[in-house]
Amino acid sequence: MISVESYKRPETIAEALKLLKTGKFGIIAGGTDVIPQMRHTPARSLLDIGKLGLDFVRENDNTVEIGAAATHSQIQNNPLIQRFLPLLSTACGLVGSWQIRNRGTIGGNIVNASPCADSAPALLIYDTKVVLLSSQGRRSVNLSEFIKKPYLTVLTAKDLVHSFVCQKGDDSAGNSFIKLGRRQAVNISRMTIAVSLVRDDSNKITMAKIAVGSVFPTPTRISELENKLIGQIVSKELFDETADLAADLMIKASGVRWSTPYKKPVLIGLMRRALVGASGIKEIPA
Amino acid sequence: MIIKFKLNGKNVAIEAPGGERLIDLLRERLNLVGTKEGCGKGECGACTVLLDNKPVCSCLILAAQVNGRNVMTIEGVESDARLRAVQEAFVEAGSVQCGFCTPGMILSAAALLRANPKPSRDEIKRALSGNLCRCTGYEKIFDAVELASHKIMKKAASK
Ligand SMILES: Cc1cc2nc3c(=O)[nH]c(=O)nc-3n(C[C@H](O)[C@H](O)[C@H](O)COP(=O)(O)OP(=O)(O)OC[C@H]3O[C@@H](n4cnc5c(N)ncnc54)[C@H](O)[C@@H]3O)c2cc1C
Ligand code: FES
Ligand code: FES
Repeated sequence: MISVESYKRPETIAEALKLLKTGKFGIIAGGTDVIPQMRHTPARSLLDIGKLGLDFVRENDNTVEIGAAATHSQIQNNPLIQRFLPLLSTACGLVGSWQIRNRGTIGGNIVNASPCADSAPALLIYDTKVVLLSSQGRRSVNLSEFIKKPYLTVLTAKDLVHSFVCQKGDDSAGNSFIKLGRRQAVNISRMTIAVSLVRDDSNKITMAKIAVGSVFPTPTRISELENKLIGQIVSKELFDETADLAADLMIKASGVRWSTPYKKPVLIGLMRRALVGASGIKEIPA
Repeated sequence: MIIKFKLNGKNVAIEAPGGERLIDLLRERLNLVGTKEGCGKGECGACTVLLDNKPVCSCLILAAQVNGRNVMTIEGVESDARLRAVQEAFVEAGSVQCGFCTPGMILSAAALLRANPKPSRDEIKRALSGNLCRCTGYEKIFDAVELASHKIMKKAASK
């Protein structure tokens, strides 16, 4: 039993927004983050968004829109997402266990804003916008601005996350998603890296997108690395330098910490592996 | 609020207080104690039940959230042929020691076999990765799922 003051499960978005306007409700979607948290916090009123029809996935011209209540399992197995947002399908397929993926939603993952939220680096690669609804109307925020710091977003108690609008990925891109370690395994910093690269016939990189989780305080795209790669010919040296630069940027942002002797070589190693993986070239020229 | 749902094939209507977790409703008020509570936070899978045929942790879902849906617990083994085949395979393969993880394992395995009747060893491991076992070392559990898969396929072929 957890302590709950009241529980509402509205069937229309209008009704949900009216309840949220009172500022008294906390939203529950899959509950995989909220329910364990609530065992230690005072009673709240819960608004369950499970009946609002927010579990859709739909295709527009250049975008795919994913409802906030779509589960990780749904996203992992959805053909549109597999085709146009392959890194997101991979990322959601690596969340927790089958049981957690069947309940946990993408909205909950992003709003919880853990530095290691698995869907975040993948969504960042696809330049995702978060669509918010409130009784005031609709607004749309870049995901990169939506998460402010660990466990804090721009969301107010009156807002509902409606959906995520993702730019379709480049068909010809090579993609790589690496997730390290176990959630909550004591003392091991987990890390996630998502890389998407396009190269031309001469192995020149024409597009590069790189995002990481648990490297900086929030999941982040690293434009310095992307700019370093674009226009260059794939080589071992280029990838080594790019991976070293990632580690330099991490240390510049957070300073040298107790975890640095572990995280630095791990980040360098994983970044190299992710770059090689996304390049699609087995034997990288020196 | 009064919630209505299907539990092991039978209709149930019951008053559910807002903060009641499904596992508490099952164990404490409906006396279905086959569903176990290990960690209470989604990590061990002992509390696994099937919600519309998919495994979920009953410690991470409110009773009110199953309103209108279909829930299967290990007690459903009496009415479900697939579950029964998996249960028998667990006994035959020697996959039960203390038994605490067994109900959750059987439900996850049955859900896997429903979605994928002939899973590879690797697919079995992945599907059961949310169910922890402190006793068996897992190999005999994976054996049991393979055995259940053979049994179910054989039965289907002989029909
Ligand atoms: C055992 C276990 C393993 C896990 N493993 C992973 C993992 O490997 N990777 C990972 O990234 N996460 C993991 N998680 C965390 C969690 O499962 C995910 O973050 C999940 O996506 C949360 O979604 P939910 O629907 O369950 O969120 P909920 O718990 O329902 O909600 C989480 C937060 O989001 C808010 N919220 C939810 N939906 C909306 C909305 N539409 N609008 C506004 N606010 C909203 C809620 O108010 C709450 O603050 C794990 C959790 C457990 C218990
Ligand atoms: S008791 Fe629910 S997962 Fe451990
Ligand atoms: S048999 Fe004891 S926990 Fe699995």
